[in-house]
Amino acid sequence: MYTSNELSRVSFIVMREMRTPLIALITVYSVAIFGMVSIPGPEIDGKIEYLSIFHAFYFMTYTATTTGFGEIPFAFSDAQRLWAIACLYVSVVTWFYALGSIVRLFQNVFFKRAVDELRFALSVNRIGAPFYIICGFGDTGSVLVRGLNDAGLHAVVIDESAERVMALKLRNYKTAVPGLCADASVPRHLLEAGVTSEYCKAVVAITSIEDVNLKISAVARLLNPDVGILTMSKMDVFEETLATLGGEVHIVDPFKTFAKVLNACINNPAFYALNNWLVGDKGANLESYVHPPVGGWIIAGYGRMGMEANHVLTMNGIKTAVIDPHSRKKEEEIETYITGRANAKTLRKAGIDHAVGLLAAADDDGQNLSVLLNARSLNQNLFTIVRQNSHQNELAFAKADADMIMQPTLVTARKILLLLIAPLLKHFFRYLLAREPGRDDDIKQVISTLRDKIGDKKPLLVTVDFTREKSRAVIQYLDQGFDVLLGDIIADPRNPEQELELMLFVIQSEGQVIVLPSNDHKIKEGDQLLFCGTAYAKQILKSTINNEYTLHYLCTGIHKPSSYFAQWYARRFNKA
Amino acid sequence: MNLEKVIFGFFIVLSLTLNVGFVLGEYNNPEHHSVYELFAVVVVNMIATGLKLGDRSQIGALLLATSLVADFELIAAALEWTFAVHVIGTGITPEVITSIVSLAGGALVANIISVVILVSETLISRI
Repeated sequence: MYTSNELSRVSFIVMREMRTPLIALITVYSVAIFGMVSIPGPEIDGKIEYLSIFHAFYFMTYTATTTGFGEIPFAFSDAQRLWAIACLYVSVVTWFYALGSIVRLFQNVFFKRAVDELRFALSVNRIGAPFYIICGFGDTGSVLVRGLNDAGLHAVVIDESAERVMALKLRNYKTAVPGLCADASVPRHLLEAGVTSEYCKAVVAITSIEDVNLKISAVARLLNPDVGILTMSKMDVFEETLATLGGEVHIVDPFKTFAKVLNACINNPAFYALNNWLVGDKGANLESYVHPPVGGWIIAGYGRMGMEANHVLTMNGIKTAVIDPHSRKKEEEIETYITGRANAKTLRKAGIDHAVGLLAAADDDGQNLSVLLNARSLNQNLFTIVRQNSHQNELAFAKADADMIMQPTLVTARKILLLLIAPLLKHFFRYLLAREPGRDDDIKQVISTLRDKIGDKKPLLVTVDFTREKSRAVIQYLDQGFDVLLGDIIADPRNPEQELELMLFVIQSEGQVIVLPSNDHKIKEGDQLLFCGTAYAKQILKSTINNEYTLHYLCTGIHKPSSYFAQWYARRFNKA
Repeated sequence: MNLEKVIFGFFIVLSLTLNVGFVLGEYNNPEHHSVYELFAVVVVNMIATGLKLGDRSQIGALLLATSLVADFELIAAALEWTFAVHVIGTGITPEVITSIVSLAGGALVANIISVVILVSETLISRI
């Protein structure tokens, strides 16, 4: 854990602030005690009594704090009383000064920040399970943290805005999400967030500034060569730098991701529905397919998203007309390029009357919505895709009733979330999207199986590791030389003839990836399995692979004797 | 059907029901509480504990723990009865029987937890 630095900073600030008041208190006490001891007391039995140091200290202790207690151990002489008056006033003033200094210390900005950092580092250290560092808690970050939390994974947040860190603390997460208000690209803060911890699985750099993301990625890589790095980047220049960092680096470009989705949507409409349903998109279901029509398309706004979309559309043989305030770049081949803002006039000029599709891709939500309404008034039958930049405008976009809404923050968050909680999913998607004969039928098969097994329930992607810690019973069984088949563990223990409500997607076995594995696959130690199922199925499956009796029952159909008595009975009478 | 589960279920439910039988009645009236019933509860409960030994699953460990709690409290109750009658010789006064019934009541709670765990485990994983 990285604390030595903050600990020394906290104690340093405390010492520096408290030095003067402490010295003042010590001086006042010592002078007062010295005076008390040396001033002659009353005569008792003809002998002048002096106070001992202990008694003088005791007297000062209750006098200086104005408690007042009387004259102990004997009544004072008048000289002592005079000294006591002086001591009382001086010491009370000193105490007020000391207390004031403590109050000032707690209001010290540096002290507060140092304490916050220390507290953050301590709470990160308390996480005794794999966790992810999320740098940037904007729209993308909050969706991501919520998703991780729902999947039962831990996250740690660093964000520069105090408001957002405060908002983080007010959310109702299932597990605590420690947050620090700081610049994540400063190595010290990444260390405090636990980047060198063995439990830290990945650093996710999704601040709104690309340079910062790049710096976070580089710093994280230098501090921990094994940690996974996921970052959002929309610029090719940065991507090249990031790719050379080495180790596990994922770069998520929301516009490229969207272009891929759009491409899949044109070529495999069923796949788009499946993807949306898996990521839990509102209103997504397995029955309704979105199918962008082939014909003339209008792209309003030719930024990075417009460019990527244009590329995909032309690749699929669709003719596009572009409207953008900026003049065109020379190298691109676009049939119609209209320079200017998208309005009724330019839309007509771009041929809205006989167009089949419209993509509103500007980086301004108001503009996108107005283009959408404008275009729809000119042509009722348009297929519309609209870009939503800010999460706050969700209600307006929901009312706009576009065929597809592209939200870069959401696209990024979901992509990163899938990479984190279901790293095997990309193999599954790659398999489904491969241009090979029969893949369309495969997708239809997958969808119909999912519909039968999960239907309207909330789908959950679950990754199962067959390791000694995570599926103890299975590995024990393998150690004894028995085989465990996939079909055995996904059977319902309540009725082994039936399967649980889940569908196997991918199994990674000894470096080999098997998509849609069959039920007679033999599990080996170290295998990783990805399935989609319900929360209930996940619960049962996890208990099966950790309970040797249930596992034995499912594999053999025989109840294994569990207690010593039953085991003895089985051996004695050979009933097992 | 699994014979082991039948035997185990039989003893654990029997121990619970006998325990209820002993505790029922006015808590300070010695006439309402039979020494033979207490003896039966102790014996059946100990047999149930023995049947749980050796189960390596999480649920098995929990069942063993609750059963051990019941054992301890019932044995304490039995010891108190023995002391009162044979060692100190006060006999079963209302004070003594109150204390014995309290201990048996504690064991009853542990037995109820055992049965709840057993039933819920069965409902969740196997029917």
